[in-house]
Amino acid sequence: MLRDFLVWLATRLGKGPGEYDLSWSEALAGSLNFWGLLEGTHVLALMLFAGTIFLVDLRLLGVAFKKTPVSVISDRVLPLTVAGFLLMVLTGVALFYAKPLVYYHNLWFRLKLVFLALALINILVFHWRVQRNRHDWDAAPRPPAPARISATVSILAWVAVITFGRFIAYDWYECGKPLPRWANAAQECATSDRGAIDLEDMPQ
Amino acid sequence: MSLAPQDFFPAIAPWVATLDDTFPGAWVKPYFAQWEVLHLLSIALLGGASILLNLRLIGYGLTDETPAEVERNVRPWMHLGVAGVIVTGLLIGASNAERLYTSEAFTAKMLGLAAAIVLTYGVAMPAARRDGALGGAGRLWALAGLAIFALGLLVFGVSKLVNPGLWHVITAAALVVLFVTRGLTRILYLTGLVALIAVQWVMTHLVIPPDDFARLDPANKAFAWVFAAWVLGAAVVQVVTAGRSGGAGAATKGLAYAALLVWVMTAAAGRWIAFA
Repeated sequence: MLRDFLVWLATRLGKGPGEYDLSWSEALAGSLNFWGLLEGTHVLALMLFAGTIFLVDLRLLGVAFKKTPVSVISDRVLPLTVAGFLLMVLTGVALFYAKPLVYYHNLWFRLKLVFLALALINILVFHWRVQRNRHDWDAAPRPPAPARISATVSILAWVAVITFGRFIAYDWYECGKPLPRWANAAQECATSDRGAIDLEDMPQ
Repeated sequence: MSLAPQDFFPAIAPWVATLDDTFPGAWVKPYFAQWEVLHLLSIALLGGASILLNLRLIGYGLTDETPAEVERNVRPWMHLGVAGVIVTGLLIGASNAERLYTSEAFTAKMLGLAAAIVLTYGVAMPAARRDGALGGAGRLWALAGLAIFALGLLVFGVSKLVNPGLWHVITAAALVVLFVTRGLTRILYLTGLVALIAVQWVMTHLVIPPDDFARLDPANKAFAWVFAAWVLGAAVVQVVTAGRSGGAGAATKGLAYAALLVWVMTAAAGRWIAFA
């Protein structure tokens, strides 16, 4: 059902009456410069988003801005982080829209979404649980263990998101190639246009 | 006329051709993607450090702390990010040398990197350590850094298929100005920006057909100049009207804009190596 929706997004939405008219998704993917600008902005926004969130996390770990209260770092830096995140989400959604089926059947994209979800859950846990008693340790050079654990999870999750995001460009596990069974299953290759070829079924 | 490294250093072509077959290029090649990730993480780290440092000099962000205190705290992460970018850049460059050798975007990137290092280590960090005051050496480094930055922008701007990447620099500048302006200046600036975006969209989608590249190219270049002028004008108004931030006067603030945007140009040129 989800894949049917993505097929419609990729091939039908915005398509003109002519046989060779492009859908909006195809037009975006085939644009001369716009796709490159979107992709470049998505990568460059890392400087704003990941760069600032890393420094906030380093404060929570007690290794940077130790004399600055956590509340000051949050109030002054997190608006920048949120702006960077919005930029990344906007460009990321547009990039996905340009090639929805390619990303849908991509192992690294799926892993990226898993760690993105983990990072977002970690933010919720931090806001609703960890920092409830922040006034007790706001000015502490080394915040308590729960805050440091949350910062560690945050850094690791965003590093994973960046890593898997970069790996999307590589065809190591592209559907249609002879792949281990688990990789075909994890990417739902059997339903992809290129199909699934199990490595185990290949003649040795 | 091409501005790729091969046009300036034709004699090293045979040596460049061997780089991906010898250490360290051959050693890195099978793990190119993994080294690319380290390159990206380094860019993110130095980006965060540069943003906090330069925004503080401009008068935004961590204004509860002095510029010197912000500099002291971001310094190790700036060092780590810059060292990471250079080391991983050298390694992935060695495994992909022939591609870079023929790339004009790579020339722009190298000029940007040189200017970024000069403007960060010769101007922004020393000025922040003096709470915004530019020393005599800082002024000299500023002249050198701005000259190299301008040269990098020129190469980026005249390189065919690569120059759309300059929109990243304009967009970043537009965002920085949006962050740091206040009150009526911000409202007027944003209104003008939205109007420009609307006019550009109408011109490049309705007035000029989207497939008429012969007319779209000069139109988009003209819009790039208009956007740049609008953003620069708003930045000048912000720098002049916001008063001193700590000890940072108008010159330091202007240089902080440059020290921030030069990293964006460097990263953008790096990304556009892959597109052209």
